[in-house]
Amino acid sequence: MKEKKDIRILAFESSCDETSTAVVKNGSEIESLVVATQIKSHARFGGVVPEVASRHHIEVITQITREALEEAKVSWEDLDAIAVTHGPGLVGALLIGINAAKAASMATGLPLIGVDHIMGHISAAQLVEPVEYPALALQVSGGHTEIVLLKDPTHFEIVGDTRDDAAGEAYDKIGRVLGVNYPAGKTIDQWAHQGKDTFGFPRAMIDEDNYDFSFSGLKSAFINTCHHADQLGQELDKYDLAASFQAAVVDVLAEKTMRAIRQYQPKTFIMGGGVAANLGLRERMNKEIAALEKAPKVILPPLKLCGDNAAMIAAAAYNQYLAGNFADLTLDADPSMELPYAEDYK
Amino acid sequence: MKILSISTATSDLSVALNEADHLVSEKIEENQRNHSVDLDPDIASLLAENGLSLKDIDRFAVAIGPGSYTGLRVGLTTAKMFASILNKELVGVSTLQALAQNFAGEDALIVAALDARNKNFFAGAYRGKEAVIADGHYHLSELLEQVGALPDQKVIFAGSDFSKYQEEIAAGLADKDLRLAEGEENLLHAGAIGRLAVSAPVLDPDQAVPNYLRRTQAEYDWAKKTGQEFAADSAYVEEV
Repeated sequence: MKEKKDIRILAFESSCDETSTAVVKNGSEIESLVVATQIKSHARFGGVVPEVASRHHIEVITQITREALEEAKVSWEDLDAIAVTHGPGLVGALLIGINAAKAASMATGLPLIGVDHIMGHISAAQLVEPVEYPALALQVSGGHTEIVLLKDPTHFEIVGDTRDDAAGEAYDKIGRVLGVNYPAGKTIDQWAHQGKDTFGFPRAMIDEDNYDFSFSGLKSAFINTCHHADQLGQELDKYDLAASFQAAVVDVLAEKTMRAIRQYQPKTFIMGGGVAANLGLRERMNKEIAALEKAPKVILPPLKLCGDNAAMIAAAAYNQYLAGNFADLTLDADPSMELPYAEDYK
Repeated sequence: MKILSISTATSDLSVALNEADHLVSEKIEENQRNHSVDLDPDIASLLAENGLSLKDIDRFAVAIGPGSYTGLRVGLTTAKMFASILNKELVGVSTLQALAQNFAGEDALIVAALDARNKNFFAGAYRGKEAVIADGHYHLSELLEQVGALPDQKVIFAGSDFSKYQEEIAAGLADKDLRLAEGEENLLHAGAIGRLAVSAPVLDPDQAVPNYLRRTQAEYDWAKKTGQEFAADSAYVEEV
């Protein structure tokens, strides 16, 4: 029998404040992953400044391209395609990866693949172990809070979405009130483990017959509680505040996701995005799924693959490669790109 | 030496092919905004029309600034990647110096300027290829003062629509023989970048960044608030 040829993809990711390149074999095996993070820069401003992000991306782009090839010990001739995130994200930031990928495609003659950033995050799962379809994913980050149904490797549909703030955004905003530097998620998560849910913040939309979320009411309740205590000169326990906030977020995410799992009966459940690194959420989801009679396989990508990275883009691109979905040199940034909504989305 | 030059610095998209300082072929798309979509196809067709491929190019030249921040990055990212992957030379040429070449042969001081809003300009003044007022970010009054102090009698303003400042410029430079460039005289030609690229210094693609001439407002605000100095750009990005 003829041995199947390996497919090697070089991917670029620059949609926000990380510039990343990676070489991935057969959509599952990371041969190299380079991530240049700008966190130190944006920490000066308390959040990502788009123009500053774009400026940093162009500083490192050629260097990290070369590093990805060197680390993987491959040359351009060993590659089969070049992939890039083309949305959603910050337009100026996306354009660095896109123009780099297009130039690389032109210079090498390799085919080009445009990848949806959210499909990328979810596809990080296949870098851990094979995904069986249909699969269901909870995608939680600073920009997104979505429950996504994966019908097959290239058809993903949103079944639940946030109506206002993303979960990660809420973490950053309440972090600011507690004097925690951006990005606040990790510290709030640590504090939450040292405190108790004593404040009973609202669990918005938890009983509604849909898979949508809302976090702006929770954020306001949190801020009001802190301001009110300030006015009375009371000092609130920051660990209990963090624990109460996190419990409200995790309760809603877990409750709605479990309901979706019961409805769609996925063979695989995936958690992706920066907030998927949250230990409180991981512990809760693991526990709830283990209690199911017919539990799906659970893939929680390691922390390194939860943040923005190019390996996940290469993984998603492999699925597009097999489906024959290629882009041409007119590929453009689509900052507000969205996955399609499921037909039964309420 | 075959030079491929690119300008995405302004609203005009231009690419050109030069053989040493001789222009072989040039494309300009006036007043279009989506350089990221059209740049690579324009390069591909320019090369195809001349029976060349990217590998045949010896030097990639780009308008490195000043100009639209996003536009500059589209052009430079592309040129950097070409040079880095194909192991060819990269050079950056001043957008303003290239604009001033629209008047090469005129015995005049060329004030090349791009509108930076609120009566501010990214501007420089050139006699031929020589910069006599360095590229910088100037308020119109400051620019007129510096031009007024130069001995040149004949002065041409190019690069932007100056008609709305006509009176102010005339009043500020009352003893000069003034002309405001119009229409096609303000087009940025990649062919001019190609000619200037012959003698421009070669850049390391890993180090090349646009010559923005301004930091971002967020950085100025941060420096003002904290009293801290800016560190080198590289100090803010780390590989993890």
